[in-house]
Amino acid sequence: MLKLEAVTVRFGGLTAVNRVSLEVPPAGILGLVGPNGAGKTTLFNAVSGLVKPRSGSIQFGGHDISRWPQHRRARAGLGRTFQIPQPLAQLTVHENLVVAQRFGAGAVDEQKLDEILQLVGLAAKAHRDAATALSLSELKALEVAKALATRPQLLLLDEVLAGMESDSKRAFREMLQNVHERFRVGLLIIEHDIETISALCPRVVVLNFGEVIADGEPDAVFRDPRVIESYTGAVPA
Amino acid sequence: MTRRTLATGMLLVALYVGVPLLFGGDLYLMSNIVAALTIAGIALSWALLGNLGGMVSFGHAAFVGVGAYVSALCVMKLGVPVFAAIALGGIGAAMASILIAPALRLRGPYFALAILAYAHIFKIVATEWKSLTNGSGGLSSIPRFPQWLGFDFGSKTGSYFIVLSLVLAFAAIYNLVRRSHYGLALRAMHDSEAATRVVGVNSLLLKGWMLLLSAFMAGVMGAFNAHYINFLEPDYAFGAPWTTLPIVAAIFGGYRTIIGPVIGALVVYLVDQLIFKSLIPSGHQVILGALLIGMILWSPGGMLPPLTRFFNRRAHAEA
Amino acid sequence: MTELILQALYSGILAGSSYALIALGLALVFGTMRIINLAHGEMVLVAAYMAYTLENAYGWNPLTAIPLAVIVACMLSVIVNFLVGRIRHDRELNSLILTFGLGIMLTNVSLMIWKADIRSTKSAWLQDAISFGSLYSMKSELLFFGVSLVLVGAVAWWLRASWYGRAVRAVSSNREAAKLMGINPQRTELVSFLVAGMLAGFAGVALYCNSVIQPSLGGALTVKAFIITVLAGMGSIVGVLIGALLIGIAEALTTTLASSALQDLTGMVLFLLVLFVMPNGLFGTKQHD
Repeated sequence: MLKLEAVTVRFGGLTAVNRVSLEVPPAGILGLVGPNGAGKTTLFNAVSGLVKPRSGSIQFGGHDISRWPQHRRARAGLGRTFQIPQPLAQLTVHENLVVAQRFGAGAVDEQKLDEILQLVGLAAKAHRDAATALSLSELKALEVAKALATRPQLLLLDEVLAGMESDSKRAFREMLQNVHERFRVGLLIIEHDIETISALCPRVVVLNFGEVIADGEPDAVFRDPRVIESYTGAVPA
Repeated sequence: MTRRTLATGMLLVALYVGVPLLFGGDLYLMSNIVAALTIAGIALSWALLGNLGGMVSFGHAAFVGVGAYVSALCVMKLGVPVFAAIALGGIGAAMASILIAPALRLRGPYFALAILAYAHIFKIVATEWKSLTNGSGGLSSIPRFPQWLGFDFGSKTGSYFIVLSLVLAFAAIYNLVRRSHYGLALRAMHDSEAATRVVGVNSLLLKGWMLLLSAFMAGVMGAFNAHYINFLEPDYAFGAPWTTLPIVAAIFGGYRTIIGPVIGALVVYLVDQLIFKSLIPSGHQVILGALLIGMILWSPGGMLPPLTRFFNRRAHAEA
Repeated sequence: MTELILQALYSGILAGSSYALIALGLALVFGTMRIINLAHGEMVLVAAYMAYTLENAYGWNPLTAIPLAVIVACMLSVIVNFLVGRIRHDRELNSLILTFGLGIMLTNVSLMIWKADIRSTKSAWLQDAISFGSLYSMKSELLFFGVSLVLVGAVAWWLRASWYGRAVRAVSSNREAAKLMGINPQRTELVSFLVAGMLAGFAGVALYCNSVIQPSLGGALTVKAFIITVLAGMGSIVGVLIGALLIGIAEALTTTLASSALQDLTGMVLFLLVLFVMPNGLFGTKQHD
């Protein structure tokens, strides 16, 4: 479904992402972990089109999308959430989804919207102002709902659980599981919470200093000394 | 709903029947009302671009001028009927706006300055392209509006009907766009452009459509004006007032509303012409500049919202 | 022909050096405050009218008006700074409209005081021709070429070496960080406005001595200054100087090879070409979230 080959992103002299290759199979789930500043969000931005990679190829559904504008990637089935929620300000929750569905999926389908709102638990606040009336976890749910409304084949989830209590985390995790099964949508998940990653992802890729340092099943990866080292702050030799 | 329909109907009757009956005899006042409505139409087009497109334009004079010249030349050189030519004037202005489209990807001040530069270019071109526009000599005896079904649209009252209909049509179009899905997306783009793009909105294209529509409206008003006053020269057709007055009107009335720019144009233009101009014959626009500064400092949302709040509070207090 | 072109190059460089003064002020304020002062051209023009007034009323040489022009332009700068500082919402866009309004005011006040007529200096001394080989100019053009180079050099040195200059640079690159380092951004902005006013004062007198003035000219001056800033790319003084000379030369060549009426068109077409060819290149508006 999504295939990155040797993707490199530079900001001036800083190489934020260095020759990263990874693959998410159709309707598969892949975890992306690594310490802060490892280049995870930058990689998301490259995939969704917010930054242009210096080199490498990004393939999605069989097309090289690395030169496509953002909106075209969204219409092709790439949905994403932002680490800091970005509700469409001045709009209600429902209108947020209408815009996403109309422009991302092509047409408005109220029944589908209701289903999404129910699933993420925002049905009660559908007609509230999105930017001001929601709590943090509701904003995160809106991020997911917005992306879902574009009828994605793959969702890029950028730390959707960060900052939540452990109870809400569990509920949110279940919600994501539901989303995955109900809509047969692939997930690429950035997350710091190892428990969440282990529960959701059959495979994990670890980034550090913009490079892939490990790739495999969560249990094996989190025992990898290099991964532990990267998290404890030691500079890799 | 029915009350609203009734109110709208009464307003239309007042505008189409009441105003001509009451003021139709006063040619001086009527000509000022027509001019004020012309500004109102341009102010609406400016506000549409500012409110929906999120772009401040300092170059609307270019669209007004292009519309005026295209329409006048279509009638004079090609024999196109006047009303068809006015539509062509709008289309011409919309085409002209495509030239500035590359500036759409620029943010705030860059776009504003780019379109300002662009307006200067058009004025120079109109002055120098003498074979087409007769340069600074101008075009005179531009055909006026025809008689139709026994009614003289070239009269003051006839012109009033035309410009009033245009302004109402613009307001209706603006309202339709604002309430459509495009309007929602445009509103969202204001504060969260990246977030809007990643859900599939082609923000550049949408802004482009707003620019096109805005230019079309301004062009139509310019074209109307050309046939109304029957004379054009570059310094007039591309003159700074076509940019200044609509901005002052829209900011004064409230550019985030539809009614605001229209009311703003009527108030600002009529007060400027009927009062300030007689007080300060040369340089009376100094007051418009001061008004603009005052509005930005104290009520950037326009006069309408605070006034409505004030009257609502009064109404509540009395009830 | 070669001689004509050489002469055009020479005149263009002389004219461009004054443009640099106007553009540098605009760029400096834009750098520190992130606002474009749309009344900048009008400020220059008002300064020019100071020279006209002193010459016309008292018969003084326009050069003696420099102190007055500088003071008036600085006062206007302080007013702009004060007004812009009071904008509460969406400063970037509202400051454009506000300074646009101020420009309207200045133009119309000029119209009231000095009328719509075209004015130029009557000083024979300033307008005397002076030649280098086959290259001719007016004395005033050569004089202000020197003045401009000195001023641009002084501002460059000031930004690099003095404490305030460094503060200006710090605020331009990162306002919040500058605050943490104990720099008062408001004070710094005021200083950059004052420097812009000083440059505008000189530029105004240069404008009056070298060419003609008219109240409606302000908008075109602002646009020209902005075009130069854009050609230069932000934050480079050498760039501003080169951009200004480029515009000056392009205008002079247009006058020589085509017509003087098309002179203003050249810079703007150059500018639009840049927009078409390098939509992001010169501006760096690409945003990372």
